[in-house]
Amino acid sequence: MRVILGCLLVVWIVAPMVPVLLWSVAGQWRAPAVLPSSYSLQGFTALATPDTARAAASSLSLGLGVAVIATPLGYLGALAVRALPPMPSRFVEFVLLAPLAIPPFALVMGINVALLRLYVSPPLGVTLVLVVTALPYTAFMFRSALAGYDHRFEEVARSLGASPGQAARHVRYHLLAGAAARAFFLAFLVGWGDYITTLLIGGGQLRTLPLLLGSAASATGNEQLTAALSVAIILPPLILLAGLTLPAARRKRQ
Amino acid sequence: MTRRRAPTTRRAALLALPAVVPIVLVVGVSLTAAALQSFGLMPFIGPPQFSADAWTRDADELVRSTLTSTYVAMVSTLLSLVVGFVLATYVLAIPRMGRIVEALSAATIPIPHVIGAGAIGLLLSDSGFLERLLGMPEAFPALVSGPWFVAVIAEYAWKESAFVALVVLGSISRSVGDLCDAAATLGASAGQRIVRVVLPLSAPSLAVSAAIVFVYTLGSYEAAWLLGPTSPEPLPVRAVRLFTSVDLAARQQAMATALVSVAVSAAVIIIAILVLRRHRSLS
Repeated sequence: MRVILGCLLVVWIVAPMVPVLLWSVAGQWRAPAVLPSSYSLQGFTALATPDTARAAASSLSLGLGVAVIATPLGYLGALAVRALPPMPSRFVEFVLLAPLAIPPFALVMGINVALLRLYVSPPLGVTLVLVVTALPYTAFMFRSALAGYDHRFEEVARSLGASPGQAARHVRYHLLAGAAARAFFLAFLVGWGDYITTLLIGGGQLRTLPLLLGSAASATGNEQLTAALSVAIILPPLILLAGLTLPAARRKRQ
Repeated sequence: MTRRRAPTTRRAALLALPAVVPIVLVVGVSLTAAALQSFGLMPFIGPPQFSADAWTRDADELVRSTLTSTYVAMVSTLLSLVVGFVLATYVLAIPRMGRIVEALSAATIPIPHVIGAGAIGLLLSDSGFLERLLGMPEAFPALVSGPWFVAVIAEYAWKESAFVALVVLGSISRSVGDLCDAAATLGASAGQRIVRVVLPLSAPSLAVSAAIVFVYTLGSYEAAWLLGPTSPEPLPVRAVRLFTSVDLAARQQAMATALVSVAVSAAVIIIAILVLRRHRSLS
């Protein structure tokens, strides 16, 4: 019973990725065949174009831009929620969570006119809106880390003669590094994987990997390209995630 | 004491500004501009002229879109909660296999929805992977672009159940072990422990994730656009179609559609907060 349930859960989680992985290395795969009749790296070699490289660079800079801005802002917001008296603190918390309550497409449609009238360039406009979308996640990560944060560590460092800067650098930095990495990762994902904000504000000028994927997936007969693009979009964050979580998991086990 | 508090409060308020200002600015400008545009007061070209036309014209279509979106979001949320809870319980109950399930499930979280939608398309479409596995039966239903949004709901349930499991595990994994041990020494069976201990403990995190998943699926475009039928249209698909239409008058209707989805999201969040408050005052 337990084994069956476990297998069912694994199938549930893995099932959608199986055809993606198979299609990404399939040469020929006609309808009734359960497995491809030949394998090739055609799908991936089709990605080696300047267009895809440019889209990858756009996605990367969008992800990094959103993460670099939203992570420190989320930290500041979380610090303020902790330090403010109850009423204003609750207000700041409400504002920090508000973007979660608004469908992204609605947020984009409203702001678009203002961005156009102020001549904000599409990459800048997309980054601004995605930073706002990512802030609830980064602020929440730091909020939960600060909730379990013991200020006495810093006090001990100070009483041992550390300057405020040294205490922040040697104590607080290390204690909050995990939360900062998680916040950065989530904010990066918001930029890296975004589709609708880039589509509506970018207006076709800003072409990222998800946009390429969207146009490949919406047409028929593009299974190879769709699958190869999917793998190319999923792998970098997964490697980043493994890099972030494996050392921590190993430390925990020791 | 009060003399000391004033400057620290001011400092804390200054700390909040860099995060609060962009959110208030973007959300405020966006909602105001959407409302003005929906009433014709902020036209793309020409003089502003008040008209409620965008709200009254094709009103029944707007209602149909709202109902469609609500249906998709409700079923997706329900499925995500059930599967997510089962995932979390399994991870807690079965140590070794649970860890594998936990890692696999966490690995799906960074996958963007547009890829999830593409993947579900390859899996469930006509002569897709599932139909091939089943030996191409004659009676294979139209899951992609079919009338019941099966593929759309499957995509949301797949992605969001992992999210629900993550939230539930994060909130109860510390406290649940001791309580389950106590219940077990008092003679509770595994089933009783799940229903009497794990479920009540996870109720608040289930409610919070239900609200988040509902609002997310209500406003998410990619899966509904790639995997849904052309009619009836969910709110995001309708809004984007009208927004990108060459007919500039359609923009007003796009804004009205966007505002309706904001209103439904807000209503669901308020209900969730009320439910959580009552739960807290009861316990």
